[in-house]
Amino acid sequence: MNGTERIVIEGIGVVGGFGCGISDLSRALTEAAFSPGTFDLSTGSGTVRIPAFQADDSRLVEFIPVRTLRRIDRFSRLALLGSHLALADAELPEAERSRLGIIIASGYGPTGITYAFLKSFINDGDICASPTYFANSVHNSAAAHISIQLGAMGPNLTVTHFHLSVPSALATARLWLAEGKAQRVLFGAVDELSELIGYVRYRTRDAGPAVPMTPLRTEMETSIPGEGAAFLLLARESAARCGYCALDASTTGCPPISGIPLPEPGLLVLGADGCRESGRRYAAVAQNARVACYTPLYGSMPAGPAFDAAAAALMLKGGRVFPSPGADFRDFPATVPAGGDPVGGDRISCLTLAGDEAYGLTTLGKLSGTTGECAKEE
Amino acid sequence: MSGAPIAITGMGCICAAGGNLSDSMEALLRGERHPAPPMRFASDHPIPHPVFEAVGFEEPPDLLRTSAFALHAAREAVADAGLDRKTLGSLRVGVCVGTTVGAVMSEETFCRGYLAGGVPDMAPIHRILRSNPADVIAREFDLSGPRQTVVTACSSGTDAVGIAGSWIRAGLCDAAIAGGADELGRITYIGFISLMITDDSPCKPFDRHRKGLNLGEGAAMLVLASERVLRRSGIRARSFLLGYGSASDAYHLTAPRPDGAGLRSAITEALATGGVSSASVAFVNAHGTGTPDNDRVEGRVLHDILPGVPFLSTKGYTGHTLGAAGAIEAVFTAACLEIGKIPANAGFETPDPEIGVTPVREVTTVEGTVALSESLAFGGNNSVVVLGKA
Repeated sequence: MNGTERIVIEGIGVVGGFGCGISDLSRALTEAAFSPGTFDLSTGSGTVRIPAFQADDSRLVEFIPVRTLRRIDRFSRLALLGSHLALADAELPEAERSRLGIIIASGYGPTGITYAFLKSFINDGDICASPTYFANSVHNSAAAHISIQLGAMGPNLTVTHFHLSVPSALATARLWLAEGKAQRVLFGAVDELSELIGYVRYRTRDAGPAVPMTPLRTEMETSIPGEGAAFLLLARESAARCGYCALDASTTGCPPISGIPLPEPGLLVLGADGCRESGRRYAAVAQNARVACYTPLYGSMPAGPAFDAAAAALMLKGGRVFPSPGADFRDFPATVPAGGDPVGGDRISCLTLAGDEAYGLTTLGKLSGTTGECAKEE
Repeated sequence: MSGAPIAITGMGCICAAGGNLSDSMEALLRGERHPAPPMRFASDHPIPHPVFEAVGFEEPPDLLRTSAFALHAAREAVADAGLDRKTLGSLRVGVCVGTTVGAVMSEETFCRGYLAGGVPDMAPIHRILRSNPADVIAREFDLSGPRQTVVTACSSGTDAVGIAGSWIRAGLCDAAIAGGADELGRITYIGFISLMITDDSPCKPFDRHRKGLNLGEGAAMLVLASERVLRRSGIRARSFLLGYGSASDAYHLTAPRPDGAGLRSAITEALATGGVSSASVAFVNAHGTGTPDNDRVEGRVLHDILPGVPFLSTKGYTGHTLGAAGAIEAVFTAACLEIGKIPANAGFETPDPEIGVTPVREVTTVEGTVALSESLAFGGNNSVVVLGKA
């Protein structure tokens, strides 16, 4: 393994509020079309209906028998669907699955089944706690289900670091490939909008039907919770058959805002998700940069940066920028290119800002040579 | 495939055996252990299951107990390394922490309030959101390097140490604070009892009559540093992280693969990345939870891969500290290499013919400069670090 060898994104699997699969994501990006649904939430003052981007995991039965899915919770189902879509997109032969490394990033983990476990003993006493719910509530359960279903016996990691989960886990995926710890890594980010997370968001964010999301309007709260899974099949370039683009870097850190190493020139995809306090920080970092933002298509969730990376991969492959939905960004102190404009450079970076002034930055690059010429049709 | 050794310049630990590494090691070598029914929380289970609590440790109200443990161990490790804040500030220092509950959005009081249709106090949720263990350590020491919170169940601590070593080898940071931390609470206690893998008496790792694990709590942190940092700051290496391996069973959510294939792969990889032969291993600090399945699979793998190599489980002194276990056992392993002896495997009396190997029964002198620390985890994770004497 050459230490400077590039890492290639061979396959993408996505499911979210926009639909299921790379074609649905491409369509939503091209049309800047978003249509959040609603989520009914029990609160102390009755049921409240909040806007939300929910994912439909029904296509999972195309890959896994219904009988097998009986005891698998929604969090893991979303992850299983994303993983199988990515493998199908890459057309990875079944024989190569056993050697896969698996890395899952999640901001909050399997909160639905965790809450169900708590309910099992809160309602009926400690002795009635559900062992099935407990087993599935362990944070690496999705990674375990994927490895079991695929027979993948390579290294297996789950990272839960709130909004830094994705860039942090992608950094480890790159390391594994660079070290030769795995020849391919199936990376995925997943978050579910459970009753518990919905309620926490209801209590912590400003209330109000803020539709549409306008994340580049920093003076107001417009975040809408989302859920879904975004998976990337990663391989060293020498082992890759086809690819969307290269994963050239992913890092996290905590320097002052002026110290974030933004690559120039290039498009910067912002993870701004309509949360007012982080929106101001994005505006400060992105001053005078060329930026795009796609969170209005899938909503606000810690797994979001993986969807940003998928969007960046499609743009690098196609050479054109997708329009930024949530049109009201006139006052944002940066240039927002129109849909169809050239990407303008060989690289796109995805920026995530978290608490403590921490940041995550994932940089993808255009492929050249035979890997790049092996077209991935969108 | 092998990489340069990574210096371990400082270590810290808190668990039921002691409030720091030195006290913990002394307790282990004295054969002292104090499992007892939980004192910090109550349960209506008819039979109390003994646990290993870090008695006397009080967390500040604004932090999760897990993160307070992590911080306590990190402070000891940083002091042990002889690093002051000015030096830390001049370096790019990363933080990698393993945990099972330190990043979980569940809190019983809050959930009870919500379930009852009330408007529960948000303070527990805010505490969780500001208590991610890696962030808490980075914030305390004002660190600017990469951060990661690893949640691979019971192998989290081992994985965090191995990943931090990779960061330094790859030049992502100059040094790292790495380890694991977990508190023991009602949710974990009730959950493990529901799985019927806990012992209602003090645990007996590798014993024929073992019935399950006892839960514990605590944290351990290691300060890892590059060769450049050692040269520049003049600090010493206490021991070395030589290798790291991890592999998945792809078998079951909570049971280890019967043929131990994942663990075998992890050991093989750890030895290969450490550039170490199995013949040079002085001892193994095994996962050894005391559950029938874990100890049978792990014992058989040790019998096959490392025949005749002394091994022990230290969980008889600490309980199973879950996400902290791999880190606590890594610092015990390094400390044992320093003094050239290992404690007895507490709780072991009767050999199990199904396993075919027996752990050490008394404090045992070990020769050699290399040892392994192993972790097996829910989800089928298997992780191993190779540690070397300075």
